[in-house]
Amino acid sequence: MSKKVIEINNLTKSYGKSRGVIDVSLSVEEGDIFGFIGPNGAGKSTTIRSMLGFLKFQSGSINILGMDSVRDHEKILREVGYMPSEAWFYDSMRVSDVIKYAADVRGGDYSEEAGKICERLKLDTTKRIKQLSLGNRKKVSITCAMQHKPKLFVFDEPTSGLDPLIQKHFFSLINEYVDKGATCLLSTHVLSEVDKYCRHAAIMREGRLTMLESPHIDDETFLSFYEDEEEES
Amino acid sequence: MRTVLKRELIQNFKNLLIWSLSVGILGLFCILLYDSMQGDMKEMADAFSNMGAFSDAFGMSTLSIATLKGYFSTEIGAVHGLGSGMFAAITAISIISKEEDGHSGEFLFSLPLSRSRIIAAKGLCVAIMIIIFTAVCTGFYVIGFNILGEEMPMDQFFTFMGTQLLMNAEIAGICFGLSSLAGKNRIGLGLGIALLCYSYDVMGRVVPDLKDYLFVGPYSYCNAAEIFTETETPAKALVTAAVVLVLCVVFAFWNYNRRDLAS
Repeated sequence: MSKKVIEINNLTKSYGKSRGVIDVSLSVEEGDIFGFIGPNGAGKSTTIRSMLGFLKFQSGSINILGMDSVRDHEKILREVGYMPSEAWFYDSMRVSDVIKYAADVRGGDYSEEAGKICERLKLDTTKRIKQLSLGNRKKVSITCAMQHKPKLFVFDEPTSGLDPLIQKHFFSLINEYVDKGATCLLSTHVLSEVDKYCRHAAIMREGRLTMLESPHIDDETFLSFYEDEEEES
Repeated sequence: MRTVLKRELIQNFKNLLIWSLSVGILGLFCILLYDSMQGDMKEMADAFSNMGAFSDAFGMSTLSIATLKGYFSTEIGAVHGLGSGMFAAITAISIISKEEDGHSGEFLFSLPLSRSRIIAAKGLCVAIMIIIFTAVCTGFYVIGFNILGEEMPMDQFFTFMGTQLLMNAEIAGICFGLSSLAGKNRIGLGLGIALLCYSYDVMGRVVPDLKDYLFVGPYSYCNAAEIFTETETPAKALVTAAVVLVLCVVFAFWNYNRRDLAS
């Protein structure tokens, strides 16, 4: 039986009177590439940010790699590589300094792995962050999330801003890590990514989560998830 | 935590350099001006010491500005007090909030660090910055005294710089607590707090009814004129400063640990 890497039970998080997520339950097993889809503001990022301890949720429980997300927050982050949807760093730092900074905080020397990732993603590490385009900042974010070879990857809209060739390299890197035992939670709006790379998927709408029978869905079904929301709102 | 502290110190180094050199060199020039102004200041000192509440507020009724310690406490004392207070305020008010304001928060929060470690590193950075600031300014003032070759009571001078450091810590503590509230930069608020505290002290020394409540403000125990005339610092002012500092830092830790972090 596969080990559960992510186990969310009845998660509810609201922002004052605004809805966040309601009674979300989800489990992701080891070695999975799990697609997490849904319209903007549906609650995908809220779920991810609750998992990583950025948000304090009202009820429910989250277990990551067998650890409690609240109690073992710091330990969990050691084993997780997270790439936020907005890749922002300290403007004045050089790319190499940002990557080293992330490695130093983790207390390891991951320069070999980081070098390999930068080469694959064609990332110039001598530039300053403020000189980078969105796509290049995303590459820095990917490197920071991958260099320590985490057990769990959490990617929030990772490919926006990346050119098609780099997107291909990015997914080949994910596949390599997953083949070695890692797990990946991929939040995205791109159907082809879910169809091509994900083994399981769930959709988030208006703060509620529904598991999909298969991640291989056609365009019309995929768009209907978004249209329904538009009509309802 | 060491990595975050190192990063914070590097990030704030330019600010520290600008502020400490500006205030320190300004103080040094003022000290060096003493020699050229000494002759004219005897008459000025008599006039300044008879300006009633205004003289009291700036310590000119108890100290003659014709002497170096009188000149230092009325002129450089005000420059350093205001400059160091503003530096402490702007350093502390943005140290926590800048991560969320600059969108670098999510990167920092994704690293394996507890919120308490992050805030401890940032608090330590503020403490180191104001200590270095005080040390640099002290160095410039001591150089000024040596160039002048005039007698200066160094024990009182060091007491003055020590209490100024405590005042800086108290203002920084208040701003540090405010910085934990939300991810918005509030440099204007920080400067406002420093100026308000300074104004409160000046007003408290001019308006007789306010004198009893002067101890509440952070400038009450670091008044140069009182220190150089060996007026005893009221213990309640120092206790208030320590309590405010501790409460604000504890609040920053508590609040940062309980709230949602913006991206």
